[in-house]
Amino acid sequence: MSNVAKRQTSTLDKALRIALYIALLAMAAVYLAPFLVMLLTSLKDVEEIRSGTLLSLPGSLNFDAWSKAWSGACTGSQCEGMAPYFFNSFQIVIPAVAISTLLGALNGYVISHWKFKGSDVFFAALLVGCFIPFQVILLPMARTLGWLGIANTTTGLVMVHVIYGVAFTTLFFRNFYQSIPAELVKAARLDGAGFFTIFYRIILPVSTPIIVVTVIWQFTQIWNDFLFGVAFSGFDTQPVTVALNNLVNTSFGGKEYNVDMAAAIIAALPTLVVYILAGKYFVRGLTAGAVKG
Amino acid sequence: MASLTIDNVKKRYGQTEILKGINISIEAGEFLILVGPSGCGKSTLMNSIAGLEDVSEGRILIGDNDVTYASPKDRDIAMVFQSYALYPNMTVAENISFGLEMRKVPKEERDAEVQRVADMLQIGHLLKRKPAQLSGGQRQRVAMGRALARRPKMYLFDEPLSNLDAKLRVEMRTEIKKLHQKLGTTIVYVTHDQIEAMTLADRIAVMKDGEVQQLGTPQEIYDNPTNLFVAGFMGSPAMNFVPAKVVEQNGTYALELQASKPTVVPFPKPDSLKAYAGKEILLGLRPEMITEPQPHKEGAEFVVTADIDVEVTEPMGADTMVLTRISEAEVNCRCNPAYPVKANETVAMMFDTSKAVAFDKDSGQRIDN
Amino acid sequence: MNNNAAKAGSGATQAGRPARLSLADWMPKIVMAPTAVAAIVCIYGYMIWTAVLSFTNSRMLPSYNFVGFDQYERLFMNDRWLVALSNLGVFGGLFILICLFLGVMLAIFLDQKIRAEGAIRTIYLYPMAISFIVTGTAWKWLLNPTNGIEKMMIELGFEDFRFNWLSDPDMVVYCLVIAAVWQASGFVMALFLAGLRGVDSEMIKAAQLDGAGIITTYRRIILPSLKPVFFSALVILSHIAIKSFDLVAALTNGGPGYSSDLPANFMYAHAFTRSQIGLGAASAMVMLGCVLAILVPYLYSELRGERHE
Repeated sequence: MSNVAKRQTSTLDKALRIALYIALLAMAAVYLAPFLVMLLTSLKDVEEIRSGTLLSLPGSLNFDAWSKAWSGACTGSQCEGMAPYFFNSFQIVIPAVAISTLLGALNGYVISHWKFKGSDVFFAALLVGCFIPFQVILLPMARTLGWLGIANTTTGLVMVHVIYGVAFTTLFFRNFYQSIPAELVKAARLDGAGFFTIFYRIILPVSTPIIVVTVIWQFTQIWNDFLFGVAFSGFDTQPVTVALNNLVNTSFGGKEYNVDMAAAIIAALPTLVVYILAGKYFVRGLTAGAVKG
Repeated sequence: MASLTIDNVKKRYGQTEILKGINISIEAGEFLILVGPSGCGKSTLMNSIAGLEDVSEGRILIGDNDVTYASPKDRDIAMVFQSYALYPNMTVAENISFGLEMRKVPKEERDAEVQRVADMLQIGHLLKRKPAQLSGGQRQRVAMGRALARRPKMYLFDEPLSNLDAKLRVEMRTEIKKLHQKLGTTIVYVTHDQIEAMTLADRIAVMKDGEVQQLGTPQEIYDNPTNLFVAGFMGSPAMNFVPAKVVEQNGTYALELQASKPTVVPFPKPDSLKAYAGKEILLGLRPEMITEPQPHKEGAEFVVTADIDVEVTEPMGADTMVLTRISEAEVNCRCNPAYPVKANETVAMMFDTSKAVAFDKDSGQRIDN
Repeated sequence: MNNNAAKAGSGATQAGRPARLSLADWMPKIVMAPTAVAAIVCIYGYMIWTAVLSFTNSRMLPSYNFVGFDQYERLFMNDRWLVALSNLGVFGGLFILICLFLGVMLAIFLDQKIRAEGAIRTIYLYPMAISFIVTGTAWKWLLNPTNGIEKMMIELGFEDFRFNWLSDPDMVVYCLVIAAVWQASGFVMALFLAGLRGVDSEMIKAAQLDGAGIITTYRRIILPSLKPVFFSALVILSHIAIKSFDLVAALTNGGPGYSSDLPANFMYAHAFTRSQIGLGAASAMVMLGCVLAILVPYLYSELRGERHE
């Protein structure tokens, strides 16, 4: 009797599981479709775009749009394509990520293992920095950059990204270092190691996972930033997101959707590559920033 | 209340066999303890009884019902988990009544049942709290309350005390025993703590590597272990295993040990040693059977007094444990603290072998059964 | 902790030893100093500065002629701002609800011991790695009134299919919702999946033994125990909604007209391109107020929770 019952439930189970897989795969298709459309469109010529639909396949593999997006398309008044801005972004991202990660590591180390009066208050105050809408600091920051003589420069942008990124990096490192037992640091102090020796010899060697998480998080954030880029960069220091927006909204002549799409993929490529190579760490950064923050 | 029959139950994950044909049956109202080291399959067996895992082969009967393929909720079983598994979003009262609610018991009856259980476990004042606001011992009580509320046919306890501190564990142990005596329910209880097993059980199943090594009452298991594993697992400090040579003496068989000097001790079932004449076996002797010389036992049948070389003494208050070396093996003796024993001295000890057992050196099986 | 040593030193002066104040004792503070200064000046200082500006009649350049709450009055008389605020309400509300619903459903679905779970998860989450500018660009093309989804459906045989929300001032805000949900719902899924994985498996077994079916188990036991995750997701999503700026810039540029403006875009436009610094500052302060209204209760409950443990 119970044997029969078991078999019946498993047929029902099977039907449910098939429905489940169909639902999951359908949603996967929905998430993938926009990227697929971008890719297909970027490989078509203007005529194919006009005659075909979003998902119609290009007649031949045509990379003209890609080369134009890379080196010929007009972004505002200049027509040098995305390439210079792509490299601008790297010039901003690399130092900003490096500095904010290093500062975050040191701050996290102090907050979790060298507490002093006020360090917790400081941490709480810094946390708020993760959450303020940046509109509230745009105007004063613009003035400050002007006074410092680094308005519209890469240096200025790096500085802005470091200042407002360090809240997040500190949070990441603090949460990670919190799990390192205090006894470890105490033992090292009894052994005669000082502040930096302990950091360098004891803490840093076990920090690889959190460094990876932080670097990926900061890279993605800064690369994808638009607000600071559009507010604080000059014509020749624009990051790639700003250039892409200019390219798409430039209305000389007819719309070249294939070039727009190629440019968009170019702008998205570095973070996508990082995501595909190190997705695990990316997710960890997202959830760490989320759940703890 | 119902009996439980586990009939040749096997469980495989791919190639590995977790349960290798378990046979256990207990009467209604018995307290069965599954005990064994981690990885012995006791938790898997418990989950199989609950229906939380399917078995690969064999049958499980609760009362006269074959429940091998029944879903957990149809088995009418309640379980107390190691982590207590209280629903964090519900109050204590809601936790206790949830199972009744799922069985569509009317609200008034549920409330009455919660009250009854709360009175029984003395948790009435906690009913409105959430699990996060309770101490470990209180959570433990609530977890038991949740199991009691449904008045199921059988209770399963999965290492319920292992998250409590030592003192509380002893208290709760007594409480569980009282509860069982009061309710007279069938209980299956998993633990790796052999003291819990000894104190609580009507019957103990000692498990190892997916097999039941021995099933019996606590005293049977303690006095008559079937093999070295069971003998070594139950009892604290553990049974001493002393290599001993089987010698012929006065037309019977006895055992020769190397204490301070060579000593021959008698054995209760000398004929069982016949096949081992001249060979070495392992003599199993509980620590309490090696004591200071006691005048009233002097001259009794299986009592021999001999000198030992003391290595370490461990006063425990009620007794003093004396550590020595006999036939190269470390041996614990349990002495009266008044007996003057010092480390590195040689003292006389009384060996009582009336309850001694013998094991084959290679197979580890009992010889004298 | 090092401070204790210093304190002990100063307490021990009766032993003739002066307070020990070596460089090493100051090291932690020295290391933190740059960040502390930056945070005090660039977060709190600038907030105050913006607050001050919001009470002046600054236009192209900051001036310090105080005009009281005039800018706030102007702000709430300004039709464009009111449109932006009501857009934020519609956009934020729908965005949060749909993301939460999708995220929870997908997480539960994925939690059923799915084959290739890793690959599917990766697909759901990849939009989160992309800039909102790219998302906006892509969806601008997908939602294109003549060449986008509409044309595809017509080609598929649905002759009367019309989909021109992007050029319809009444519907354009829903385009923002679609694109934003596409980008962020996978993230909510990841949050909940992590939460589900953290649920005590014994608790689920207990529910099973109590006779709860799978739906009851999720509805009554598992999801309620994920309340903190709901809370975090809610805060993060509302935060994303309030800060949304780049998506509008790329997808609609506020248009048609200013029908799809959000507060962030209003602020930027007035402060940086329309020479209305005072008004822009006032709008920024209102945004800050919105964020704090969500954040303060959240942080309060988080901190209280921590103390409770």
